Amino acid sequence: MTTAQGRSMLPRSPFWPWIAMGIAGVVTLVASFLAPADAVQEELSRILYVHVPAAWLAYVSFGVTMLASAMYLWKKHLRWDRIAASSAEVGVLFTGMTLVIGMIWGKSTWGVWWTWDARLTLTAIMFFVYLGYLALRRTTDDLVARAKRSAILGVLAVVQLPLVHFSVVWWRGLHQTPSLLKPASVDMDTPMVVTLLVAVVMFSVMYAAMMVKLVELARLEEEVILMERSDDGPVAGEAVSAPTLRGEV
Amino acid sequence: MKPGFMTQAFAVARRDLRRERRSGEVVWVTLPFGAVALLLIPIAIGTDTPTLRRVGIGMFWVVVMLFGVLIAVRRTTADSLAQSDMVALTGIDPAGAFVGTATANVLLLLLFEVVLGVLTVVLYDVDLGGWQWFPVILILVAVGLSLLGTIAAGIVATGRGAAALVPLIVAPMSVPLLIAATQAFEGLRLGESILTWVLMLIVIALVLSIAGVLTARPLQETG
Repeated sequence: MTTAQGRSMLPRSPFWPWIAMGIAGVVTLVASFLAPADAVQEELSRILYVHVPAAWLAYVSFGVTMLASAMYLWKKHLRWDRIAASSAEVGVLFTGMTLVIGMIWGKSTWGVWWTWDARLTLTAIMFFVYLGYLALRRTTDDLVARAKRSAILGVLAVVQLPLVHFSVVWWRGLHQTPSLLKPASVDMDTPMVVTLLVAVVMFSVMYAAMMVKLVELARLEEEVILMERSDDGPVAGEAVSAPTLRGEV
Repeated sequence: MKPGFMTQAFAVARRDLRRERRSGEVVWVTLPFGAVALLLIPIAIGTDTPTLRRVGIGMFWVVVMLFGVLIAVRRTTADSLAQSDMVALTGIDPAGAFVGTATANVLLLLLFEVVLGVLTVVLYDVDLGGWQWFPVILILVAVGLSLLGTIAAGIVATGRGAAALVPLIVAPMSVPLLIAATQAFEGLRLGESILTWVLMLIVIALVLSIAGVLTARPLQETG
């Protein structure tokens, strides 16, 4: 969308999220390679510094989706709907990433791409629940109906989070118990814990940056929908013509 | 005088069941579809009796979860926007309509479970130990699945691709139901206590009932 002078009519989008994402990615990579290798898994252990933060972001994203959905149902402001949807998109991306990275690690460690471990299976199910959430949003162009329906699903779907997180405690499978989010003490060496925490913080920065961009994109999409509707939609009273006197043209 | 909540719910349930009697969608389409699935599975995994006896109950529950959802979808595809608007204009309580639809779905799901259950026993030669608990588990699963399906059908309403989207939402969300149902039957087979799993099914039914009643009005407002 441009003016006659060739200037964009859209507001300038902030550039800092791109810089933040780049810095966060580089710091995570550097930290992962600076950390000492694991005594048993050796170099393969470095995959942990991407796998765990990605899983963490999936939790955070879906938690934010739930909170923003609840806020939408309370306040009825579309801003909350945009946050919920954007966060779900990031969550689906990072859940997919968690699964793929976990499968690569599993192939090297367990010898199979997939095993019917409770954590793996429930994570895959959570992925499909939120794919359903995103699919639901494509069923209508009515912004309010879409926001309300997806907000209800966004609140209900959060039941997946405790199921996934505590699955390693409730069902003893192949997947290890939580690395950081657990009541007992952390059983990792300090440099590895520090690297993991740095990676988690960097991924959180990435999440914030992506959210800024996605929420902005969601707002622009809403504007496009509203513009398309105002172009095509019938105008109230359009079919009624003004009364005229006999003989009057 | 406006009829009470339960009268409204009863009227909606009766309407749904009458509509089912006329169309026969569950009895003549969904039920045979589920039966065909139970027949196809042994062809794919092998027809030796020990294998079938081992997997029979699990397969029964998978078919109930996946095909039972279609009973809830039935309403979504049948109700046009104009019909929904007309029902709303009658002043019926959305929560009452939800309870009525969910009740009709429970009854249809129970029929579905019982017929497919008998078929599973015949085809897969499954162990019937602890059969006294079967009605309790079947009813609780029917209630949970019906509530979940009715909520999902309400959320999706008559949007694009509604018939396919409801199963996509319900199937992964029904995992706690599937776990509780299969673990309860496994407990019965091993002679262990199944109270934990029965309690889990009751909690799921309660939570979904509350969620369904609370979300009925906002969902009706969205059309």
